[in-house]
Amino acid sequence: MMAGKGFDKVYNLSGGIKAWNNEVAIGPQDIGLELFTGQESAEETIIIGFGLEHGLREFYLDMKERVSSSKAQTLFNKLADIEILHQQHLLEMYQQLTGSHDSMEDFKARKVQPSMEGGLTTEQYLNIYRPDLESEQDILSLAMAIEAQALDLYQRAADRAEQESTKNALQQIANEERAHIARLAKYIDEM
Amino acid sequence: MIWKQFFTPVSSLNGSEAKKLTAEEGADNVTFLDVRQPREYEASHIPGAKLIPMGQLDSRLAELDPSKPVVVY
Repeated sequence: MMAGKGFDKVYNLSGGIKAWNNEVAIGPQDIGLELFTGQESAEETIIIGFGLEHGLREFYLDMKERVSSSKAQTLFNKLADIEILHQQHLLEMYQQLTGSHDSMEDFKARKVQPSMEGGLTTEQYLNIYRPDLESEQDILSLAMAIEAQALDLYQRAADRAEQESTKNALQQIANEERAHIARLAKYIDEM
Repeated sequence: MIWKQFFTPVSSLNGSEAKKLTAEEGADNVTFLDVRQPREYEASHIPGAKLIPMGQLDSRLAELDPSKPVVVY
């Protein structure tokens, strides 16, 4: 159907989703999109993204307090620190876009409302994936699932964004999530 | 043209090859198209995939960019 209508490069994924041995997302098409109406400016979009990363960092820090194994605590700490890097990149994007010189703390204090990355709440993630929070493997799998969910949300938000600059900002954030997923996959492979 | 749509062969990719295609083309330049029903999409889908159920595909093709490779599942 598509091949005859101007789509020259159409591929069938053999085995379908079951053969996709990579990260997946769950939920309906509009999950989490209450955060992105499609009418935000690029600047507003970056602030929302920053809030999502901030929410995820708080989640990892909260989990760190809940576990007793030192390895699990160290891992949650590491994951929380990675979110600081994401936040730093988002702040840089914001500064480039607006010419602002806000520090991280100023930006956080004035602009950001923490939300949970991917549009699900902490408890929802824990209920869906039921990880053993003392297991490093399970913690990394949970982190991968959250990042996949976030990547999916940013892509869906980019799809509905009305302004090209907003779409580009969302694509850029989505690509950060892809890099993060690849890094987590590498950790798992090295275990 | 009408015959072309019946006879143009569609290649298959496995999961690793699809991942490789994304790496080569750039993630923004490949469309993953989920043609299953919404309930199946909700249970599990490739992050960033666009859902257009098979029954609606013909009337919603304009939502897709024909210049990008499309991986359908």
